Amino acid sequence: MLFIQLFVNGIQTGALYALIAAGFSLIFGTTRVFHVAHGATFTLAGFVFYELYTVLAWAWPLAALAAGAAAALFGMLVDRYVYAAIQRHEAAFFTVFVASFGIAIVVQNLITIGFGRGLVTVPTPLSKSVELLPGLYVAPMAAVAVLCAALAFGVLQWLLTRTSLGLALRALGENLALVRVYGLTPRRLSQYVFLIGSLLAVPAAILTAATSGLNPAMGHHVMLISIAATIVGGVGSLRGAAVAGLLLGMAENLSLAWIDPQWSEAVTFVVLFLFILFRPGGVFGRAVAS
Amino acid sequence: MSAADPAVLLRLSGLSKRFGGLQAISDVSLDLPAGLITTLVGPNGAGKTTLFNMITGHLAPTAGTVYWLGKPLAGLAPWRIARRGVARSFQDLRLFTHMSVLQNVTTVLERGSWLWQRPIDRGRIEAVLRETGLWDKRDERAADLAYAERKFLSLARIMVRDATLWLLDEPASGLDPRSFERFVALLRDYAARGVTICIIEHNLDLVTQLSDRLAFLDQGKLLACGDPAVILKDPQLAAIYFGERA
Amino acid sequence: MLAYLQNIAVLFCVNAMLAVTLNFIMGYAGIFSLAHAIFFGVGAYTAANIAMHFSDSLFWCVAGAMLAAAVLSMALALPALRVRGEYFVAASLGLQVIGVTVFSEWKGVTGGLGGLVGIPPPTLFGHALTTPGEFLALAVAGLAAVLLVTTALLRGSFGRSLMAIRDSESAAQAAGKWVAAIKTLSVAVSAGLAAVAGAIYAFYMSFVNVEGFMLETSILLMAMVIIGGTGTVFGPIIGAALLMLLPAALTYLPFLPPAELGTVQQIVYGAIMVLLMMYRPGGLVGGRRKAGQA
Repeated sequence: MLFIQLFVNGIQTGALYALIAAGFSLIFGTTRVFHVAHGATFTLAGFVFYELYTVLAWAWPLAALAAGAAAALFGMLVDRYVYAAIQRHEAAFFTVFVASFGIAIVVQNLITIGFGRGLVTVPTPLSKSVELLPGLYVAPMAAVAVLCAALAFGVLQWLLTRTSLGLALRALGENLALVRVYGLTPRRLSQYVFLIGSLLAVPAAILTAATSGLNPAMGHHVMLISIAATIVGGVGSLRGAAVAGLLLGMAENLSLAWIDPQWSEAVTFVVLFLFILFRPGGVFGRAVAS
Repeated sequence: MSAADPAVLLRLSGLSKRFGGLQAISDVSLDLPAGLITTLVGPNGAGKTTLFNMITGHLAPTAGTVYWLGKPLAGLAPWRIARRGVARSFQDLRLFTHMSVLQNVTTVLERGSWLWQRPIDRGRIEAVLRETGLWDKRDERAADLAYAERKFLSLARIMVRDATLWLLDEPASGLDPRSFERFVALLRDYAARGVTICIIEHNLDLVTQLSDRLAFLDQGKLLACGDPAVILKDPQLAAIYFGERA
Repeated sequence: MLAYLQNIAVLFCVNAMLAVTLNFIMGYAGIFSLAHAIFFGVGAYTAANIAMHFSDSLFWCVAGAMLAAAVLSMALALPALRVRGEYFVAASLGLQVIGVTVFSEWKGVTGGLGGLVGIPPPTLFGHALTTPGEFLALAVAGLAAVLLVTTALLRGSFGRSLMAIRDSESAAQAAGKWVAAIKTLSVAVSAGLAAVAGAIYAFYMSFVNVEGFMLETSILLMAMVIIGGTGTVFGPIIGAALLMLLPAALTYLPFLPPAELGTVQQIVYGAIMVLLMMYRPGGLVGGRRKAGQA
C-alpha cells in the first residue's frame, strides 16, 4: 500500500514538475536563454496567489488570474529589459545565465523580506486528504493537479501545432529567417515565448501552494528540476521535458520507499548524472555535438 | 591502387553523410596522392566543407571509410587525427581572437594536457611569422588584425606544425592581388617541400595556378576528378559551376 | 582590535583563495561551476579527519585534502565536459545538492549536522600552529601559493591551451589539443587548490560544519568572481574583498533591520551582478570584456 501511496503522490508531483519543466524547456529551446529566473517566476506566482487568496480573501479565480498576470509580466519584463539589453552587445550564454541568476537571487530575497522564510500554506476545501482505501490518502487537489496539467498541455499542443504563432515559435528554434514569414520579429516572438513559458509555471505554483505549501527558497528546487528535466528529456524537446518532469516527480516519491527523505532531492541528480554519462541527448533529444 | 599504396596519403572510400532528411554527401570516393595539390571545387552547398569535417573527425560519416596511409580513421577524435599529421583551416578562420599572433602560433605546437612541456622550436615560429609577414605584429591581438593578416595567421598556424596534409577551406578568399600572390607563393613553396594540400576554392585564378588535380563536387556527388585543364574545359561542368554563380 | 583585524584578514585570504581558484575555470576555461563550496568543504573535512585520526602534520593534511577534492572533481568533470557547457553547470548544481546532503548525513566522517569539533592544530616542522598571528601567516602563505600556481599555469602553455579552447574549441581540436583532458585537468587544479583553503579554514576555526558549504556559499563565490572581474588576476581578489566588506557596510545603514542583513546583502550583490552583466560584463576590473573571457 505504501508503494501505491507513493505512486499516487508521484503522479501529483510529477504533473506539477512537468508543467514547470515544460515552461523552462520552451524558453530555453527557442531562445537559447538559460532562464534560471524561471524558479523566481514560480515563487512569485505562488506568493501572489497566497497573498490575494489567503490573506486578502479574494475569490480564487481572480487570485489565480492575478498570479498569472504577475508571472507573465515578470517573464516578459526580464526578457525585454535585461536579456535583450545583454543580447544586443553580445550573446554569450554565460553572461545571460549570470544575469538570470542575479535576478533570481534578488526576487527570492525580496519575497523573503515580505513574507519571511517559513512555509506558507493555502488551505482550500480540496486540500484535505481523503482515505480512498485503507492506508491510501489522496487529496482531491491531486486530481485537480493532474487535470490541470493535462489541460495545460492540451492547450499548449493546440497552440504549437494549430496556430501561426505556434508554428512561428517552433521556427524560432530552427530557422530564424522563417520567423519573418509569419510577420513577426525574433524580439516579438521572444516576448511571446516568455509569456507562455512563465504562464506554465503558474498552475504548478498555485497547486503546490494548495498542497504542500510554499517558501521563498523553493525557487532553487524549481530551477534544479527544470534544468534536470530539460536535459534528461532532451534539449529542444518540449515533450521530453514534460515526460522527464513526470519521471523525476515519480522517482523522487517512489525512492522514499527505500531511502530517507533528505536524500530524495539527491535522487533527481543521480538520475541526471546517469543521463549525462550514458545518454546526454536525453530521452527525446537530438544527438549532442561535442 | 590499394588503400595501402604509399603514394596515396588519404583515401575517401564510398563516403556518405545524411542529416535527417538531407543527403549531404553521396558515395564520394577520392584519393589524395602524396605531395600533390588537389583543389575541391563546386557550387555553394555542394558539401565540400562537410567532406573536410568528415576527414578531420568533426563529423562522423553515415557510410564509407576514410583511410589515412592505408589505415581507417574510423571513430577517432579530431585531436587524434590532427596529431597524425592532418592540419586544417576553417572558412571562418576561427582564430584564437583574444590571444596575440605569437600566442596563436605557439599554442598550436603545445600539447596542452600536460603541465610540463617539451621545449618549443622558437626559431621555427619566428621563421613562419616572417614568411607570412606577421613577425612585426607578433604581439598584437588576433582580433585587431586586418583581414589579409588574419588569413595569413590562419595559414601560419598550419605552417608551423609538422603536418603532412593540409586541408584549407577557402584560404585566399577576399585577398587583394598582392596578398594573393604572396599566398600562392607560400602554398607552392610548401607543396614543393612535400606537403600534400587539398584546397576548397571558388577563386579560379588560384585553381588554375596551383592545382595538380581537380575534384568537382555538386550536391554531394563527385562529378569529376583529374586533370584541371581537362575538367575546366568541360562545358557541362562549367554550366553547373557558372550557372550557380549567375 | 588586533584580534578582530586578524580574523578578518584570515577569512579574507580564505575567500580570496576560493575566488581565485573559481576564476581559474570560469574566467579562463569558460567553465561555470556551482559546486565550488563542495570542494572547499571536502578539503576542510578531509584535513580535519586526517588531523583527528592519523597525523596532524600540516603537509599530510593539506595533501590529503587536495587529493580528495581533485579526485572528486574529476568524477564530475569527465562525463560532464564531454558535452556542452550547460551540462556542466547542471551537473555541478547536482554535485552541490548531493554534497550538502552527504555532509549532513555522513555522521562518521563529517559529524553530521553538528559538524566536527575539536580539530587539533596543524604542526609544521614539529611546531604546532596555534596563535592568530601564525594562522594569519598560514593564510597569507596559502593565498600566495595559490596565486603563484595559478599564475604560473596560466602564463604558460596550459593557460594558452585553455584560452584557445575558450576562443574556438573546434580550432583547438584541429590543432591537436585533447580538449576534454585539458578541461578536466583545469577543474582538478581548481578543486585541489580550493581544498587547500578548506584545510586552512578547518584548522583556523578548529570546527567545521555543513553551513559554510551550502549553495549560498557557491553562489557568493560566483558573485565574487563575476563582480570583481573574470579572467583577471586581481578581479577575484577585489571581488572577495568587496563582498566581505558588504555586510559590514550594510550595518551602517540605519534603516535596515539587523535581522534582514543577510537577505539585503544577497539582494545587493544579485542586483550588482545583473547590472554588471548588462553594462560591464568583464566585472569591475575587467571592464567591457565579456564575462568568462580573459
